[in-house]
Amino acid sequence: MSRKFIETDGPAWVTEGIISDAQRLKLLARYPPEAQALGLLPVLGSVLVGLSGLSLVAANWQALPAALRLALLLGSLLGSYAAGGYFLRRGNPDLGHGLMGLGLIFFGASIILISQLYQLVGYNASGLLAWVVAGTALCYIYGSRLLVLLTVLIGAAVQTYCVESLGSFSYATAVLVAGGLGYYWWRRPEVVSSTVLAVGLLWQAGLLVIALHSKITWFFVPAMAIYAAGDWQRNRAGGRALQGPSLVAAYLFMFGLATFGETDTYANVLRPPLLPYLAALAAVFALSVAGKRARGRLDTLLDWLLLLPGFYLPGGLPLAVATLVVLYAHAGSVLARAHRDEDSDQLTIGAVLFVVATAVAYFKLTWGFFDKSVFFLVGGVLLLSLSWYLRRRNVQTLAAATPLVAQQAGSPPIIPPATPETSPPAPHD
Amino acid sequence: MTDLLTWCSAPARRRPLMRLLVAAQVLYVLGVAGAGYATAAFGQRIVLTTEPIDPRELLTGDFVRLRYNISAAPLRLWHDAAPPRRRQGVFVLLATGPDSVSTAVGVYATAPHPGASQAVLRGWVTDVYRNSLGLRFNLERYYVPDGSPLRQEKVGRTHPLRVRVSIAPWGQARIAGVEEVRAN
Repeated sequence: MSRKFIETDGPAWVTEGIISDAQRLKLLARYPPEAQALGLLPVLGSVLVGLSGLSLVAANWQALPAALRLALLLGSLLGSYAAGGYFLRRGNPDLGHGLMGLGLIFFGASIILISQLYQLVGYNASGLLAWVVAGTALCYIYGSRLLVLLTVLIGAAVQTYCVESLGSFSYATAVLVAGGLGYYWWRRPEVVSSTVLAVGLLWQAGLLVIALHSKITWFFVPAMAIYAAGDWQRNRAGGRALQGPSLVAAYLFMFGLATFGETDTYANVLRPPLLPYLAALAAVFALSVAGKRARGRLDTLLDWLLLLPGFYLPGGLPLAVATLVVLYAHAGSVLARAHRDEDSDQLTIGAVLFVVATAVAYFKLTWGFFDKSVFFLVGGVLLLSLSWYLRRRNVQTLAAATPLVAQQAGSPPIIPPATPETSPPAPHD
Repeated sequence: MTDLLTWCSAPARRRPLMRLLVAAQVLYVLGVAGAGYATAAFGQRIVLTTEPIDPRELLTGDFVRLRYNISAAPLRLWHDAAPPRRRQGVFVLLATGPDSVSTAVGVYATAPHPGASQAVLRGWVTDVYRNSLGLRFNLERYYVPDGSPLRQEKVGRTHPLRVRVSIAPWGQARIAGVEEVRAN
């Protein structure tokens, strides 16, 4: 419940005699007026100050003597870290971590600008690797969400530079991000950081596939290895957060296959050699299943439906039907799990997935047969009735779950119960 | 149970660890600058020539791509039992001619001993063709300073460049200066 809610609705509750004015004030006192956005302001402020200084120096950069440039860079670096440390000791972690992040940015800028000054920028990224190392070390010492995000971004930027400009994949960078921040995630499975890390790792995996000129479907082997790591995580929320981006990628791929895969044009791009690909994917699958079994999460096994390699089927109707069956089965599995867990968020996601699958099926299978206006009419009616049915199921499930809460509160069941999947992670060390 | 993270983030250890980390970063930046300075101060000077550059690159970026005349070496200069492979690290033996420009006299898989008026430049094989080798030296980008005459060059009026390169005793090489070869 937010403070704003009590502020706006509180007086009405008092008039209706639901609570007394003293209780309203007590409730207000429970939620001190600390706006969420305040946490972001120092970060934005430090970024703006940094940018202004940067543009002033950049305008006159070439005219400055080398020693002065070096002094400026090191001075900014030391100043940012010192200010960060000062604000952390003063009990202002947001500003402190923001300034620490600024110091990290100055470290990277120093490496790049000094290398340019002495014409040392070559064709390897070993200089930039130190930047990733420093970011990881900073995460270990201060363990902040912002620093994790920054380090993941730095890792992605260095790798992108290696692949795009130098034409080679830096395995050292990938191993550092996966190993260094992976260990961090293992010990501190915080939800946002986990998702950020997973996206960063998927970016690295994608660049690896580009650099090796492999078939793009190989991407799903490292992507699902990240997913399998999530299965072994003791903290369920942190594990699911790491798995999210991989699942989204797999779903989008399956969706694309269902929508555009019926022509055989893409076959050459999609089909890696059958045995090595299936063996690699099976190995990751085994790892994932072992993790699910060890942590008692076999209910999420059907996530793997999205990884069925349908692209080996000949294009045309067999592929279209197979992918649609998979999309339906996956949506059904999400819905079934959500019903069992009485999880309203998952129910919504499942419903959306179901509607999407239906839309695709309808487009794929009936476009050729119908007159256009009938097509849209039938499609609209189909989707409307489907959404109505799913919404009803949704409400029924939640209503069945809430009577206990409702009795205690003395009000009709309106607010859905807290969901087990979205409960905050319990730290464990 | 203490893991590495708990160990690192313990309040008592934070400050000393952070000081260590900042000191390491400062030392690293000083090291990069020192290596750059020392290469110019103590390195062996050679002069290489390039193919004409494309000044249009300066419209979008701060650097031009250089292609040296030694970037393509005939395969007969290869001195090793095993054939050259892509991405392989190599040593190019350079000899200085009468016009003070260095040319490649041999490409080796292991470091050769240079004679008088010879230098060794570290390189990497980019391509292996039937009769020649493509090489790169990590000297292919030149960040053009603001006052350089290269910045005033008009599109279409390109000249080959003479690039002064310093090679440090420990093998690191960097561009010390670039000048145009004016047609007489």
